[in-house]
Amino acid sequence: MYYETSNKSPPNSKEALPSEKVNYAKMKVTSYTKQFELGGLFMGNYIVELKNISKSFPGVKALDQVSFTLKAGEVLGLLGENGAGKSTLMKILSGVYTKDVGSMKIFGKKVDHLTPITAQKSGIAIINQELNLCDHLTVAQNIFLGRELITKGVLSDKKMNEEAYKILKRFQIDIDPETMVGNLPVSKKQLVEIAKALSTQAKILIMDEPTSALTSKEIDNLFTIIKRLKEQGCGIVYISHRLEELQYIVDRVMILRDGKYITSMDFQETTLSEIISYMVGREITEKFPRVEEKIGEKIFEVRNLNAGRMVRNVCFSLYKGEILGIAGLMGAGRTETTRAIFGADPKESGQIFIDGEEVQIRRPMDAIKVGLVLVPEDRAKNGLCTKLSVKENIALPNLDIIASKLGLVNRKKEEKVTETAVKNFDIKLANAEVPADSLSGGNQQKVIVSKWLARNSKVVMFDEPTRGIDVASKVEIYNIMNDLKRKGIGVLFVSSELPEILGISDRILVMADGKITKELDVKDATQDLILEYATKFGKGMDYEEEAMKA
Amino acid sequence: MENEKKRNKLKRLLAKRGMGQVITVTIGLVGLIIVFGLLNPIFLSARNISNLLRQIAPTLLTGIGQSFVLITGNIDLSIGSVVGMSCMISATLMTKGINPWVAVIITYLASSIMGLLNGKLISKAKLPAFIATLGTMTIARGIAQIVNNNYNTDSIGEAAEGFMQFFYYGKTLGLFNTIWITMFIWLVFNFLLSRTRTGRHLYAVGSNIHAAHLSGVNISSTITKAYLVSAFCSTTVGLIITATSGMGTMDAGNSYELYAVAASVIGGVSTLGGQGILLGTVIGASIWGVLQNGLQFAGAPVAIRNIVIGVIVIITVLLDIVVRLNKKVGKAKAGAERSYFPVLKHKI
Repeated sequence: MYYETSNKSPPNSKEALPSEKVNYAKMKVTSYTKQFELGGLFMGNYIVELKNISKSFPGVKALDQVSFTLKAGEVLGLLGENGAGKSTLMKILSGVYTKDVGSMKIFGKKVDHLTPITAQKSGIAIINQELNLCDHLTVAQNIFLGRELITKGVLSDKKMNEEAYKILKRFQIDIDPETMVGNLPVSKKQLVEIAKALSTQAKILIMDEPTSALTSKEIDNLFTIIKRLKEQGCGIVYISHRLEELQYIVDRVMILRDGKYITSMDFQETTLSEIISYMVGREITEKFPRVEEKIGEKIFEVRNLNAGRMVRNVCFSLYKGEILGIAGLMGAGRTETTRAIFGADPKESGQIFIDGEEVQIRRPMDAIKVGLVLVPEDRAKNGLCTKLSVKENIALPNLDIIASKLGLVNRKKEEKVTETAVKNFDIKLANAEVPADSLSGGNQQKVIVSKWLARNSKVVMFDEPTRGIDVASKVEIYNIMNDLKRKGIGVLFVSSELPEILGISDRILVMADGKITKELDVKDATQDLILEYATKFGKGMDYEEEAMKA
Repeated sequence: MENEKKRNKLKRLLAKRGMGQVITVTIGLVGLIIVFGLLNPIFLSARNISNLLRQIAPTLLTGIGQSFVLITGNIDLSIGSVVGMSCMISATLMTKGINPWVAVIITYLASSIMGLLNGKLISKAKLPAFIATLGTMTIARGIAQIVNNNYNTDSIGEAAEGFMQFFYYGKTLGLFNTIWITMFIWLVFNFLLSRTRTGRHLYAVGSNIHAAHLSGVNISSTITKAYLVSAFCSTTVGLIITATSGMGTMDAGNSYELYAVAASVIGGVSTLGGQGILLGTVIGASIWGVLQNGLQFAGAPVAIRNIVIGVIVIITVLLDIVVRLNKKVGKAKAGAERSYFPVLKHKI
């Protein structure tokens, strides 16, 4: 406990604090020292204390009497499944939501009501899960959005560019501050977002899945930054679904489940499986359930597929009873490959065979008709009509079966198709009439898969099916894939997370620069090996073969 | 090195919000002026140019307002009605013997209320802009009709001579006052949009409202400011119309909001928000005016004029989309090479 209330005068050693805070609130980027002096004052003490916070949304109790503390110089891993209330809690701390009940103390000072602006001013910065940048503004303009630098009453882009350059350089982020954010790839955008949060000289940093789009080198860099900030007395809340990351940075973990506080412990004194069991509320015996199947005949083949720069001369085959993983860095052309195969993007050349017969795919409908379907990345954007009901979503690609020749929708058939789908995939919902976006991430993903499997599909392509969903739902998605494999349906599995690619696939293709650089049997594959080929730029596999022949 | 820096600067200028389209349409505008000049030399006479500029003024002014609103990702359908309302309020007050300048101030205040209402309905009550301004459009037109008991006003009389000179008939340094007023307003708002914090926030809100909110931008006040600017511009146009005809007309400004959208969009302002500059609006409004005026000189009947203008609006925007799509592909390629494959550079 620090001091009880704000109106009581603080202990003499911290007398200077309130005025310091005012200075600090102005967030002048030039003086970093002030921030660190302030951090030093609080080192080891609680800088955030939330007590019995509750928050309800219509129909859901998102947070139920949750208490939360954060010390200066500490990295706290805030863990829990999707919908456990992590983001809600952090949104309350950053002023996006207001709490229903409970008390908050920041830097020992009682705070009743926070808005994004006052939160920023009291030294809290959040790096959001969804990228929150303006595409039409430059990097520097984004970094200084809301606290623009003004000289003589006029915006000074020159000064902002200079300051942004300093900030980016300080954190070793290699981006030109004058580029339009809209022209940056996702991983760079994420770095801009991080730089933006750091530039506010926040003492309390909330990172919500900061690494989801970063490459391993950038992650290393981020961890170095985190360690440095920690030494300088910042308190950092770190939210991630990638539990493997925690060991590098986290001091303490706190676990939420269903909006309730479960436990909090020192990271050193626990294990990952203990953490997972607290998160899920039960033991998950197998993180990557593997099913062994006999490899059957070839069901799907792609020959010499070309589509733009990101898909160059892609060839591969897929056999019955296997899951074919495609690994690679962001921007390696994996998504583009699946989209080109599916007919969502135009192809320049290439042949596609299903069951040994060549098929012509010009648009998604052609692919669907021959039994080739795609579960796209980014559920909300490409996978679901979020405002429509679950039933309508499942019926959408199957309307040719459900509707009569005249185009009349047969309600009974629709009902039946939906019912089977919900049952087969164990989708948890009150009824099929609820809008798709009311479901949790994992259940949404199941709706997408189920809508494709309501018809007799032969090949299913999954593009990042587990991004942003919790451990338990991930396992369910793996089980669905295993199920398909058992039924003799070909599964193509694109993922950026190497552990799951290694854990689930039978064979792995590695892509880099729009080309397949290596094909590996899972028995021979290791993370290092995959990474080696994922960074093999400028050479394709056939290229290499040619070289060997010569 | 220095040279390269300069070239980079130029590149950046070109990459700036919608600059590309501004250049394309400027070329188009010059082309149109040459064609009309060849068809009928009178088109390029000093007298016609002066008139033409004065004709462009209302479209440009409403276009400035609409551009502000479009940049925030919203739309203002009430512009035409606010023009009509301002015309009727100012004229009615003047016929009642009130000092014209007092009438002008009251008119500005009255339409600010409409702007404020628009802004708050959209930013606070979260109504879709299309619906909110559709409502205020009808309300403002209703007010235009009610102020003088559903009649157009009588002549505003001799007392308003100064007012008419100021807004329409008078000249300063050889140019019509209307043109000076428009230029002044353009300069002020262009400064506001490009050089001030408010301007930056307008772009941010239109580009990504969540990001802006989380960065501490006051969304409500930003959107309201855009609608206030729009109302201010519309009022000025209403006053110009009063000064022109010397009376209040209830139908004044009919469908001006759509001409304003056309001027903005031709000039490269995106209806999706976040993109566009006021220089573009000038060019857009000029193309609009030159087409109207030029086709008239070329002897085209009104119906043909309308069809030609409609086609041109569609073609310019279509052209922009085609250009932008091509460029995007190119940019993505270039971007990819820079950002994903630093290794590549060394190897080749």
